[in-house]
Amino acid sequence: MSTATLLRIALLIALVVAFALWNPAFISGRNIYALTQSFALLGLVALGLSLTMIAGEFDLSVGSMVAVGGLLTLVAGGSNLVHGMGVALAFAVVIGAANAFVVNRFNVSSLVVTVGSMMALSGFAFWLAGGKVISTDNFDLGFALDNPILTVLSWRGAITLAAFLLAGLFMRHTLMGRDIRVIGSKRLVAAASGAKVGLSLYIVFIVSALCAALAGSLLSMSLASAAATTGNNLMLQAVSAAIVGGVALSGGAGSPLHVLIGSLILTVMNNGLSLMGMGATGILFANGLVLMGIVLLDGQLGAWMSERFAASRARHSA
Amino acid sequence: MAALEMKSVGAALLSPERVQSTAVWIGTILLAIWASAAVPGFASSANISAIMYSTSAVGIAAVGMAFITLSGNLFMLSMGATAAVSTIVFASFLHLGLLPSIVVVVLVGALFGLAQGIAVGVFKTNPIITTIAMASIITGAGSFYSGGLTIVGQGDASWLGIGRTAGIPNQIVLFLLAALVFSFIVERTRFGRELRLIGLNPKAAHFTGLRVGRTLVIAYVLAAAAAAFAGALYGSQAAQGNLKLGAGLDFDAIAAVLVGGVAIKGGQGRILDAAIGAVFLAIITNILLLKGLSLEIQLIVKGLVVIASVILGALALGGRK
Repeated sequence: MSTATLLRIALLIALVVAFALWNPAFISGRNIYALTQSFALLGLVALGLSLTMIAGEFDLSVGSMVAVGGLLTLVAGGSNLVHGMGVALAFAVVIGAANAFVVNRFNVSSLVVTVGSMMALSGFAFWLAGGKVISTDNFDLGFALDNPILTVLSWRGAITLAAFLLAGLFMRHTLMGRDIRVIGSKRLVAAASGAKVGLSLYIVFIVSALCAALAGSLLSMSLASAAATTGNNLMLQAVSAAIVGGVALSGGAGSPLHVLIGSLILTVMNNGLSLMGMGATGILFANGLVLMGIVLLDGQLGAWMSERFAASRARHSA
Repeated sequence: MAALEMKSVGAALLSPERVQSTAVWIGTILLAIWASAAVPGFASSANISAIMYSTSAVGIAAVGMAFITLSGNLFMLSMGATAAVSTIVFASFLHLGLLPSIVVVVLVGALFGLAQGIAVGVFKTNPIITTIAMASIITGAGSFYSGGLTIVGQGDASWLGIGRTAGIPNQIVLFLLAALVFSFIVERTRFGRELRLIGLNPKAAHFTGLRVGRTLVIAYVLAAAAAAFAGALYGSQAAQGNLKLGAGLDFDAIAAVLVGGVAIKGGQGRILDAAIGAVFLAIITNILLLKGLSLEIQLIVKGLVVIASVILGALALGGRK
């Protein structure tokens, strides 16, 4: 593990210790359960989004996809929510493939393409919801998903962890995983050296949409309800989680492990802030500040600081 | 080298880049003529004035957004948040009078733009993520300021809200004025020329000594000020402000810019293209409304129109792989 990764783990531990000292309720079993429940949602969305980022692309539509995934599960599922989840996931595959098709075939920036799909999906979500909160009286699946398995973890959290494990193995041990990383850093070199650029793009956009839809679907089962506005701030949090964890906005860098650490840092921060009595917009504000701080470090300012750091280290060692 | 570049700039003005915007100009006129004949109620004076009102704020935001797109930094995703917070600022300063209130709104918006311009232009941050982050900071700040409540304006905003000059809503007059002034800035000033050159080739712009940072800062300030002014228009119509008013402005402005034919790769397109894009979308939305289609369907249609115009733009440029 690199120094940067260890530093991030240290930051995570420091945050946990600080919040626990401030309010012992933070490390109560109940609160840790609440924490892993929010991680189950955010982590899954961040995982999918980060794969597109590692490939040097970006999927702005994940937030609306969460809403559509949740609504489709209830609306198309009716009394059979597993069936509804199947519909939601199949729909996500289609949307992910469509995003990848436009990006790959017409060579347009994925930011622009997914602005369009974000709008269209958001409209679709509002249409599905028909201006209401959709609910179901089928609670069994939700209870099963939220049932604690190790006191602090639900099945929903376990599914998210399993997704991280799968994605980690995929990125580390398959050729395709290597291709995705390479096309993120040097697209043209990658194509020339035989990396499957097109296929990689399809995989990352489909996985991104799938993760978002799965997160929304599981959430709607757990809450036994879904609304069109559910995913509103999730994209902001997911991109924060990914870059807090060390996924570069410029592509090529980062792994599911990084996203896992980043998601945990952000979940701990948001949970701690809400324990301190901060409201939803306050947390949104704090997330914005964090994200703003990281993009500044990601840009010129960070380059300048690491230059200074290297220079001062060179002086000291001389 | 420079001669070559000038030549390619000249060629670009006559080449496929203009096809889409010309098509949208013609399409808008044909659509209006067709709708007047075929859609009942479209040509009524009440409906035309409704179209004008729905064009104004979006149009002003769109010409602001066009600065960002022209500069090669894609979009400013904080415009909706800026407009929403501006409705609150507008309402809470209205007791000072309409003009002072507008001035405060535009200054606050310009400050938001300054922060983003410095981040993107000077510190070279990712423009999309920067403006997403700023959107939540702005929303959070607005929510602290208003306590999450709707603020009712104590004063008379009717000149801006419903006032007319020679029978034309003041809002549309202001939109046309903004489009012309912004267009002049881009076409005729050194700032505008630098903006377009930066959009065409940011690396070359840097090496040839263009004032890249300064130009981008100005672009963000102008764009955010435009978004804030659009917020004032929303606030004046309702004579109140809250975080929901104008929150969807980002999408509408992006749609207008892309449909109008401003190239997403930067450098190519005109401010007036974004303005006509806003008019085109307002007419389409109005027709969908008259046909009884809901707001949700309109959002879906807008999203699809964005993707379609992106594909068309890429095809016109030969962007196939």
